[in-house]
Amino acid sequence: MAQVVLKRLLATIPVLLLVTAGVFALLHLTPGDPIDAMMAESVDATVKESLRRELGLDRPLPVQYAAWMARLLRGDLGRSIRNGEPVVDNVGRRIRPSLQLAAMAMTVSLLIAFPLGIVSAVRRNRAPDRVGTTFALFGICMPNFLLALLLIFLFGVTLRWLPISGYTDPLEDLVDGLRSLALPAITLGLALAAVVTRTLRSSMLETLAEDYVRTARAKGLSEARVVRRHVLRNALIPVVTVLGLQLGTLVGGAVITEYVFALPGVGRLVVDAVFARDYPLVQGVVLLIALAFIVCNLVVDVLYGWIDPRIR
Amino acid sequence: MISRMSRRGFLQLCAAASALHPSLARAQAPRKGGTLRVGFYIEAATMDPHLSGSKIDRQIYHNIYEPLVTLDVKLGIKPGLAESWQQPDPKTLVFKLRQGVKFHDGTDFTAEAAKFNFVRMKTETKSVRKGELANVDSVDVVDPFTLRLNLKKPDAALLATLTDRAGMMVSPKVVQERGGELERNARGAGTGPFEFVEWVKDDHILLKRNDGYWSRQGGPYLDRVRYRPIPDDTVKLQSLQAGEIDVMDYVQPRDVAAVKADKNVVVLDVPSLADFAYQLNHTRPPFSVKALRQAVAYGLDLEQIVKGVWLNVGVPANGPIPPTSWAYDKSIPFIKRDLARAKAKLGEAGKPGGFSFTMTTNNLPINVQEAEVMQAQLAEAGISMKIKLVDGATLISEGNAKSFEMISYQWSGRPDPDGNVYQFFKTSPGTSLNWSGISNAQLDALLDRTREVSSPAERKKLYSEVTKILQDELPMVFIVHPIEPKAFSPRVQGYEAIPDGMMRFKDVWLRSS
Repeated sequence: MAQVVLKRLLATIPVLLLVTAGVFALLHLTPGDPIDAMMAESVDATVKESLRRELGLDRPLPVQYAAWMARLLRGDLGRSIRNGEPVVDNVGRRIRPSLQLAAMAMTVSLLIAFPLGIVSAVRRNRAPDRVGTTFALFGICMPNFLLALLLIFLFGVTLRWLPISGYTDPLEDLVDGLRSLALPAITLGLALAAVVTRTLRSSMLETLAEDYVRTARAKGLSEARVVRRHVLRNALIPVVTVLGLQLGTLVGGAVITEYVFALPGVGRLVVDAVFARDYPLVQGVVLLIALAFIVCNLVVDVLYGWIDPRIR
Repeated sequence: MISRMSRRGFLQLCAAASALHPSLARAQAPRKGGTLRVGFYIEAATMDPHLSGSKIDRQIYHNIYEPLVTLDVKLGIKPGLAESWQQPDPKTLVFKLRQGVKFHDGTDFTAEAAKFNFVRMKTETKSVRKGELANVDSVDVVDPFTLRLNLKKPDAALLATLTDRAGMMVSPKVVQERGGELERNARGAGTGPFEFVEWVKDDHILLKRNDGYWSRQGGPYLDRVRYRPIPDDTVKLQSLQAGEIDVMDYVQPRDVAAVKADKNVVVLDVPSLADFAYQLNHTRPPFSVKALRQAVAYGLDLEQIVKGVWLNVGVPANGPIPPTSWAYDKSIPFIKRDLARAKAKLGEAGKPGGFSFTMTTNNLPINVQEAEVMQAQLAEAGISMKIKLVDGATLISEGNAKSFEMISYQWSGRPDPDGNVYQFFKTSPGTSLNWSGISNAQLDALLDRTREVSSPAERKKLYSEVTKILQDELPMVFIVHPIEPKAFSPRVQGYEAIPDGMMRFKDVWLRSS
């Protein structure tokens, strides 16, 4: 197993190189300039030029990329152009809300998807299945921003049960923290639950038709035991794949949800940085998001082996 | 007022806004205490007024820092940290400074401190104030409370410039001891009615009352002011309606009608200094031809745009100077739509069948709507306009590079007309806000005159002449002077609306609900 993990880690190096070079090229090919964006209403060309020189933005692109790489190899992601603080600090501030939101959204989706997916498969084409598939269709079709606004309107404005926007760290104030993350977690969790429900249902239906399930039933095992021991476990692989991929998206890609709920997460950080043409910040965050995806995939692969020993 | 607004109506509105809003100034004794929660659309960039290039920063500065002179509700200039000022000759400005003012760190505000600030703004590498103070040659301390600015040439707009960041005084001790940190932490740095407490990035900025504030009149009353960025307009509005915030900086035109119907929200129409316009590139075809610029101007129906796109949250613009300004000439009408004239101009330019061009604009809902309406209007004149949507950074780079034909330009405005005019239309090689590339000797001479004469009446005449030339030469097509409505919880009392849009909370207090 250790060897597999090591091999996979080594294979990520070219991936990361490609990602950073691609992002670097795209960013610099996009029109716009960080200094102009920062000082939109100032006409002082000499100040802008001296700032550009100070930041090394006047050098040829390959030189800039090489300099960035050289610093990266020393573990330095550089500083944000806009606020002058190290990229690591910028990300550090933003990663905590993102991880907490991802964890809560994941929990919400699992709490919904597992019962619903299992019941849908076992009671196929009957009332519970209809409810399950209808919910899944709704969750997949509903755009995030619309669901978010509807939830805000219902729970924030009308009922006033939950705060509308903003972030409190649950590690500092558990109750307020969970309340501040509740609506965004439901927004993201519902969509994810819909995908997971459908995946689990179809995967279980496939497994239910397997010979060994018939054998298990023939042995006289109770239906509950058959479902739990023989069907569910074997149906988990596609579900874990979906969850692994979605976890990466939840951490780095929850832009709209973060935007609507004014959550200071990584997704908004990178989008704002793109608009500001804050090159080092975009590069740093994209690199870290790519790493997060790689780690998630690695964890998924390891889980495969745990779920299904044949894969090891 | 929502349904239809004439220029007269707008001017009346300006007058009404200059008085306190009725529901914001009930006859009740101000009460100390409470936290005012303010919602903003983005996060601040820096706490150092000398390094700031972003509008949102100024909102916070006007409560922490104080400029030498400040604006009154009619954009007149009144004493700030300077009690009075004199201009013994056009190239000298002498300020008598207020005594007994202390920075939040306990040090005294003196002429030495003021000089330190001017020197810093003019020499610090990262200073963004150099352009604004370009005409200041040197600064002398005459006595501990008298400061003299020696100018390179007469600059009638300088005093108005000193009502904002370029006139804001920062504690020299704070700069010397923790200069680099000032961008993130302004503790002790200002003299204003509120002191900086903390800035939790992406979350909030907290200020507290300065109990040692030098003025004994009025506030500060509030215990604390807490600023929060809420990027989504709809959510920000809902936060106000639900009582999570007490103030929001700007209500989108599309929301104004609904918010005015809501009893839990008080809306204040604040006429702004801004103009929304389009620059036409004089340096390349098609708009190097004057008749084609005129054809576009005659093809547009500003009234329809202001009504349909801006929902009358603004007035059609006759030029760069907003109706809030003393220099605004209401006798000059905005350019009316005249399709026959537009077609005649096309013929004059040798394009009787029309022509086509590309317009570059910001990819924001209101810009896109405006572009679509313009496209339809110009089509009726036989002009085909292609729309190119870009993000803010691209827009600026295309403007600076003059790689556009027509480009949208949104200027937040400056209290002195100079800030809305000079840098846009004065011949200037290299990078400047003169994206259109206009270079007109008569205009240049007039623009220089506006800085040299000091009598407002005479300057106003000059600006009227400038406006007329601009309507003929058309470096820019001006569309609208927007109103920037702000919304409050009914608890908020005592807010005074200054047309620069900055929210000063010194005299604001919270009614017990």
